[in-house]
Amino acid sequence: MSSSLTCTRLTIWAFAAVLLQIAGLSLFLIGFFPVKPTLPGFSGPESYRMPTSDPVSDAEEVEELPPDRLRSLYREVSKIPPVYDRLILMVIDGLPAEFVLGRGNKPPTKNMMEAMPYTHSLLSSGKAAAYHAKAAPPTVTMPRLKAMVSGAIGGFLDVAFNFNTQAMLEDNLLEQFYRIGWKLVIHGDETWIKLFPRLFHRQDGVSSFYVKDTVEVDFNVSRHLEAEFASTDWNFLILHYLGLDHVGHIGGRQSILMAPKLKEMDDVIKRIHMNSILDQENSDSHTLLVVVSDHGMTDGGNHGGSSYEETDSLALFIGHGVEESNYSPYDHNEAFQVDIAPTLALLFGVPIPKNNIGVLLTKLFDSLTDDQRLRSLELNSWQLLRLLKAHLPGLHCGESSCYSCEKGLETNVPTSEAKQRLCYLFSKAISAHNSWQFRQHSDFISADINYFQVAAESYNDFLRNASEWLSHRATDKPVNVLMSAIIMMLVSSVLLMGIVFCLFRRVHFAQVGCCSQLEDPYKILHLDEVFVFIVIFLHVLSLGASSLVEEEQYTWHFLTSTLYLIFLSRTIESLLKRPNSVTLQNKDDKTVLPHSSPTDARNNSGHKFTKFRPSKINNHGTCRLFSVVVVLICGRLLRGWHQGGVNWIYLPDISKLLVHAGTSTIKVCQILSLFAIIILGSHAIFKLKSTTNFVYGVWSSLLLSAFLVMLHTMENHIYDLEPMNLSTTSIAQVFYVVASTSAVLTFLASPWIFPVYSMEKQMVYQVRSNSCSTKQRDSFLLSIRETTYLIGTTYTAFWCLLQLLIQQPINAIPILLIYLQILFSIIYFSADRSFHRQWVEVAAIYFLGLAGHFGLGNTNSLATIDVAGAFIGISSHSAVLSGILMFVITYASPSLSYLSMVMYIDMKDITFISSTHEYEWSIFLEKMIALPCLLPLLFNSLVLTSFTIILLLMRNHLFVWSVFSPKYLYVCAATVCVYIGVFIVAATGLYTYSVFCFRTRNPQEKCPQVLRDNVISHSQTNVISQ
Amino acid sequence: MGTARIGAAAASTLHSLCALGVAAAYFLAQRVCVLDLVAHPAQTLRLLLVIEAPITIGVYSWLRRDTHGCSVWKAIGRGLLALPVGAAINAFGAIVLGAPVGIKYWTVTAYWSLLMSLFTFVPAACAFGPSRMDWQRILSFSKLLDAVDYMISVPAYGAIIGAWIGAWPMPLDWERPWQEWPICVTYGAIAGYLTGMVASVVFIVALHRKVHAKGE
Repeated sequence: MSSSLTCTRLTIWAFAAVLLQIAGLSLFLIGFFPVKPTLPGFSGPESYRMPTSDPVSDAEEVEELPPDRLRSLYREVSKIPPVYDRLILMVIDGLPAEFVLGRGNKPPTKNMMEAMPYTHSLLSSGKAAAYHAKAAPPTVTMPRLKAMVSGAIGGFLDVAFNFNTQAMLEDNLLEQFYRIGWKLVIHGDETWIKLFPRLFHRQDGVSSFYVKDTVEVDFNVSRHLEAEFASTDWNFLILHYLGLDHVGHIGGRQSILMAPKLKEMDDVIKRIHMNSILDQENSDSHTLLVVVSDHGMTDGGNHGGSSYEETDSLALFIGHGVEESNYSPYDHNEAFQVDIAPTLALLFGVPIPKNNIGVLLTKLFDSLTDDQRLRSLELNSWQLLRLLKAHLPGLHCGESSCYSCEKGLETNVPTSEAKQRLCYLFSKAISAHNSWQFRQHSDFISADINYFQVAAESYNDFLRNASEWLSHRATDKPVNVLMSAIIMMLVSSVLLMGIVFCLFRRVHFAQVGCCSQLEDPYKILHLDEVFVFIVIFLHVLSLGASSLVEEEQYTWHFLTSTLYLIFLSRTIESLLKRPNSVTLQNKDDKTVLPHSSPTDARNNSGHKFTKFRPSKINNHGTCRLFSVVVVLICGRLLRGWHQGGVNWIYLPDISKLLVHAGTSTIKVCQILSLFAIIILGSHAIFKLKSTTNFVYGVWSSLLLSAFLVMLHTMENHIYDLEPMNLSTTSIAQVFYVVASTSAVLTFLASPWIFPVYSMEKQMVYQVRSNSCSTKQRDSFLLSIRETTYLIGTTYTAFWCLLQLLIQQPINAIPILLIYLQILFSIIYFSADRSFHRQWVEVAAIYFLGLAGHFGLGNTNSLATIDVAGAFIGISSHSAVLSGILMFVITYASPSLSYLSMVMYIDMKDITFISSTHEYEWSIFLEKMIALPCLLPLLFNSLVLTSFTIILLLMRNHLFVWSVFSPKYLYVCAATVCVYIGVFIVAATGLYTYSVFCFRTRNPQEKCPQVLRDNVISHSQTNVISQ
Repeated sequence: MGTARIGAAAASTLHSLCALGVAAAYFLAQRVCVLDLVAHPAQTLRLLLVIEAPITIGVYSWLRRDTHGCSVWKAIGRGLLALPVGAAINAFGAIVLGAPVGIKYWTVTAYWSLLMSLFTFVPAACAFGPSRMDWQRILSFSKLLDAVDYMISVPAYGAIIGAWIGAWPMPLDWERPWQEWPICVTYGAIAGYLTGMVASVVFIVALHRKVHAKGE
């Protein structure tokens, strides 16, 4: 009874560990990937109104106006005339502001000054305003461009959530310009074209792929300059020069190519200034040239991190309005990269993008009247207030309540609460503005300037504080939450480890107690067992290296194949050993079992502890050898199917060969693998001893589903051009219904239908067993085994068919290969059940699932998720259904390995169960489903916990967003997959067992009653005889 | 040669003979033939093979277990026969673990497997011949009997483990020429082989101590 108690306790502990893990994981996710509230949609005319407390009226959008009307409307309501009407944005990739503006208050080095003579002449004559525009990490091009045009610092999850498209969906300057009818032109880095695929009137993209090229990339941009100067059709010209970044990547900051490259850039600036700005000195139209860099570079020329060298980027405004005589150009003017967006928006008379957190650069508005300057500050404040309201629900301020509180100006009470403080600052700014306006209208001029300054300063005060708060909100991570999340996960891992260890100890003692078979009692661990630990250790270690995370398919294939090679060497070793030692017994042993079917062997081999049967073992040895070799070869083929990964994507592989060979070849492969899977599945089903009508029913539904899959494949073939046609959709739907009903029916019904073996039947198969009580017990266990075997086979076969339907056609053969691998592993393990410890076998199947996951072409970047397959058989758009399908496609292989655990349970040796406990559910639980459930949970929790810690350590790493965070999402999804798989295994095992218990105890069924009586009597005789 | 007579000194002499063979071949490749493993893997491997093969086969044929029933020439013949067989096994292992398959890689894979065969399979074949028990003992790496067992198995396992570890940098994106198959794997194998030799001498010394202690 004590074992039953510990078993219940074990289950409870395992549940507790899983729950703790879920809690820790969700806590970490919330802490690490804060889902910042972003405002959807695009700013419109409402942004020129005071934000109201009512979000509905605030978000109310005017219906689409034609561009001209919209432009005049903006001009009307903004009360600020656009200062410029043409914009040239020149992006110099990777230029540190230090090269142009120097560091601190010191001018740049003489070399740099000499390299850019024209720019420095502009700066020193006050015709340009320059800023050190601090960029936010990650300092790589795409997110920086996004920050520049939207004024927002993106989180990771908004990258993850629209992984299918790189296009920018948030509100941004380009979209705003496009809406007022501007013509946009881009020459340079094609990232822009990826971000805004439909906005450009004219485009010429250059690739940033060839880093070695520093000349052509820039020539390809500059060659358009003359034509663009001549043409008048554009309003916004973007020139993105990549050459300087390439120079940095090759030779670092001190590269000899740097000075000539700077000179080249200086020439471009000179040409633009001469042709576009000086030309228009006296005309009505005005052009603004903005020279910016997206990020800086380290001394070695790299970027991506958050050091001063990398974040120190340039913002240089050159235009007629920028004229100031009394300032030194090399003062350290600090700004933020996000400030560019609101500044440009206000200068050009378009609404500020909704999610902007930047603050306008006041110096550029100096040419405006005081009224207009305050108005622009006001517009910026309103926009930030709207965003703040999204972050802080219930923020009410700035309304009439504080309009007249002149006192607010005097009482300088800093409130600790951010909400209150921002509110206070906002009301202060509004009231200062109001009082300035009041003075204006009342013709009371004496203290005029003073009031203007107070208003401007209080606006700036609010803007800076709000901006800072918002940007911290985007980047700060709550340390306490993350630490407690990690501690929870650690505790859960330790708990699982403890449970598994306890289980081991019990199983170990049980084995030591009843089998002398273990080859070497002194040796605690075999090489394969040690290697399982090494696999886990190395895998966790490899997760710390970004390139190994990118190429995880190598790791898994290498480690899994090595494990199977170790199995192979052990098999060979045992083959070498046996025949010599026991040749004498060979002869008389062969006669013992006249009709030995494979199932029989499977069910009987539990008894080999009682009698040594070398002939059998020798047979098994060859069978094992063959199985391992098949698994290894399948693994190698899978490896070659998708060379994949992130860095080696261009390597030739089988899938690319097949794609080249054409669709008909792929079709043939699909049909072939379909037939192979059907044959394998049927073979597996008919290995059952009793082929009742029920089994035939299951088999025919399998055939029906296979027919449907074939039909679907054929239909797809005919209507290749039309991706979503009705017939294929309905076929797929029928398949879903047939497959799911037959799997569920098999699961529910088979324990009820399967016969509980009677004594007569028993006698045939259990002739040779020694003790009588074993017979009884086995008859009961045999039925359970047969049932779980049938259920497991059904699960795996239907799962494979489903995968054939929804996976990409090219993945048909890999599905077959994974199925083969798993089947042959199970055959290998069942050939001689004492050869490996059970946990090694479970681990091997688990590893196969993971290696197969990468064999299907999955990688750790979000780009390889198959989105197309997620719409097969779905007639109307449904995010939930396609999400589920996407998950099913991506985790096809791990799920298959968990489902095959159900099949594997049956292969388990349950003969260790001592005869007194035969009907204890706890024993069943412990022997059959404890390890297959707990080991995947444990392995996964180890990976999850250690990768969480790695992610936290790597949070400032160059590749945190591109490599580690996507991998983390995969790890989380894998965790969900493990939960589901383990649940299915446990549910199937428990359900089958309880139904059989119920049936054997039910007095109405005659046969089991007899059986039970027999069992009792036999166990009594057993006790007596002992 | 009676196997019992192999002491630590003899073992280290024989090992250093094999090690010298590797070193000489490497030196010859670099200085005389101006071959580099990174630039000319096939030629360098061939040179290593040609120099190392006679030494290894000679040494381990001399160490053969069954001194009475089997002449040195027979042992040498066994070694020569075992060379391609062992190469096939090694090539199977390497390919299964992910070595590239293709016409381009055919020659290097062949040379590499022959070299690995020389490190792993050939010594055992020379010394044991078709004796099942000996092979089984070497494979299970348990209950190794005497100095010869250690001399054969420890360097062989060293070479295999070294090659296995040497494969790890291959998928990394460092873009170094030595990351190509089979360069770093060969380096790993040779390093493992040499380490294994040192380790086997240590084992033999320990074994003799134990035997002496028992004798007393």
